[in-house]
Amino acid sequence: MSAEQVMQPMLRIEGLRKNYGAVAALQGVDIEVQRGEVMGLIGPNGSGKSTLFDCCTGLQKADAGRVLLKGVDITGWSMNRIAREGKFLRSFQKTVVFPTLDSEENLVLAGQMSRFPGVLSTFWVGPSAQRRIKALRERAQELIELSGLARVAHLPAGNMSGGQQKLLQFASMLMPEPELILLDEPLAGINPVLIEKVIQAIEHANRKLGVTFVVIEHNTDVLMNLSHRVVVLHQGAKLADDTPEAVVRNPEVVDAYLGG
Amino acid sequence: MSATTLDTPRLPAERVATVNWSACALGLAALLAAPLVLGDYYLHAMVLAMIFLLPALGLNLILGYTGMLSLAQGVFFGVGAYASALMSIHFGTPFIVNFLVAGLFAGLIALPLGIPALRLRDTSFVMCTLGMVVIAQVISKNWVDLTRGDMGLSGVARPRLGFGDMAFTVVKAPEYFYLVLAVAALAVLGFVALIRSPAGRCMVAIRDNETLAESLGVPTWTYKLIVFMLSAVFAGLGGSLYAHFSTVVSPLVFQSYYSNTILIIVLGGGVGKIPGAVIGSFVFVAVSEALRITPELRMVMYGCVLLGLVFLFPQGLAPIFQRAAEWIARLGQGQGAGKGANDVR
Repeated sequence: MSAEQVMQPMLRIEGLRKNYGAVAALQGVDIEVQRGEVMGLIGPNGSGKSTLFDCCTGLQKADAGRVLLKGVDITGWSMNRIAREGKFLRSFQKTVVFPTLDSEENLVLAGQMSRFPGVLSTFWVGPSAQRRIKALRERAQELIELSGLARVAHLPAGNMSGGQQKLLQFASMLMPEPELILLDEPLAGINPVLIEKVIQAIEHANRKLGVTFVVIEHNTDVLMNLSHRVVVLHQGAKLADDTPEAVVRNPEVVDAYLGG
Repeated sequence: MSATTLDTPRLPAERVATVNWSACALGLAALLAAPLVLGDYYLHAMVLAMIFLLPALGLNLILGYTGMLSLAQGVFFGVGAYASALMSIHFGTPFIVNFLVAGLFAGLIALPLGIPALRLRDTSFVMCTLGMVVIAQVISKNWVDLTRGDMGLSGVARPRLGFGDMAFTVVKAPEYFYLVLAVAALAVLGFVALIRSPAGRCMVAIRDNETLAESLGVPTWTYKLIVFMLSAVFAGLGGSLYAHFSTVVSPLVFQSYYSNTILIIVLGGGVGKIPGAVIGSFVFVAVSEALRITPELRMVMYGCVLLGLVFLFPQGLAPIFQRAAEWIARLGQGQGAGKGANDVR
């Protein structure tokens, strides 16, 4: 990474617009995410949070605007290129894992593309490929232990509980040693014990591994504690961008989202 | 869906490729001994089964492991057959050259067909591959200068193997049987190597959840294109064997009958399972041949057998064979028969 890239914000979103027919999902949103921070992203349903994630990570094409990752314009890049070259990953609102594979295979798969130089090299089954896969398996086992999934690691991921799948999904995103992760409702539908585990995992990755996070979450109490900064979206536009303490006192935010 | 607990007995997850090598060795030994006990008619049927095994392996790769239903395997089978026949008739090139070029040519033809087709998903992709079958039929019938139309190409040379004084032409049924067995065994090994490679894991990822795979950095479209081409190579090699076995190639090779047979072999054998195509090819060619005792009812009976298999074994026949092999192995170890398989591949 060049010195110039280090000086750049981790992610800069400039004037992002996205329309679904007559509905304006994003109306020229500008956001900067600094290196090493945990940024919360909140707003009512339909405010454009997930669409913002989709447009940043290449799942959907924005109608206008730019997305810069460490100063590099990644607008129009494919989703896999953003993940592979940008070390920029995302989770989905609905938890997704590879259901027929066990935890280790899920994790090896998640880390595989970062260890092999190109698509054709993955068709090779020689000693160098075996060494790479062995290293991935060792890393996968570490993450399985860290995530507390050892007891269920042999099961097809599709047979694991929703909370366990959330943990596996999170562990999968750590496999390629990412620099930026967008989490879409990581705490939705899981019990308080697992909520605590997920929070610990995010904090660990942020503090120990230096991963930058942007987190969409409706559990605002948890999010305010977790985030260094919070951005509020409302009807596809940015309503606030401040510290958690300032955001909860902002009357416009209270009126539009947090309520009395 | 009922809630599952840690105590609920379940199958362990599928690993990317587990091979029961003892069962493979047993099967291979049985096949090697077949010409000693079977007559030419049965050997011919088994040769056909092993020829169809090649395109079936290709289909298993693209359907079973990558999750895309392609009806175009028959097209690439035909392309391989025509390529081999044309080279043999017009240039007199040796079998091994024709064979390799046929596979390569089928793979190359798949490139321009796959680039637009793989932009489509699900039923649109299936329809697109069906369109390829129709186009191939029309071309083979109407490009008379090249294909001789409905008359077809006859006089394809029998394979000639070896060098100098050791060279011999493969004519007798047992000779052809061993040649095709060697090719089929190599093809199965190649297939297993593909599935066990890191790329095999990417294929399963695309099958399970393409968007998730993409979000983790897997260039899904590139993989799908390569798999489409590889499946065509398998089919093209099968087509070449067929051309040199039957010595005649006509537009009939592009009939949907061939694509359907390949599909039945994979679905009936066990889609997404390593032994699926192998078991399917032998069972369905055997069923088809056995029903020749009632020529007028043959296809009706064949349909009834298919319906019965779908209802009785929705996962295909591979898991049944797998369980039987494990049961025999346990008997051999003196532990008696226990519970079912712990590996669904």
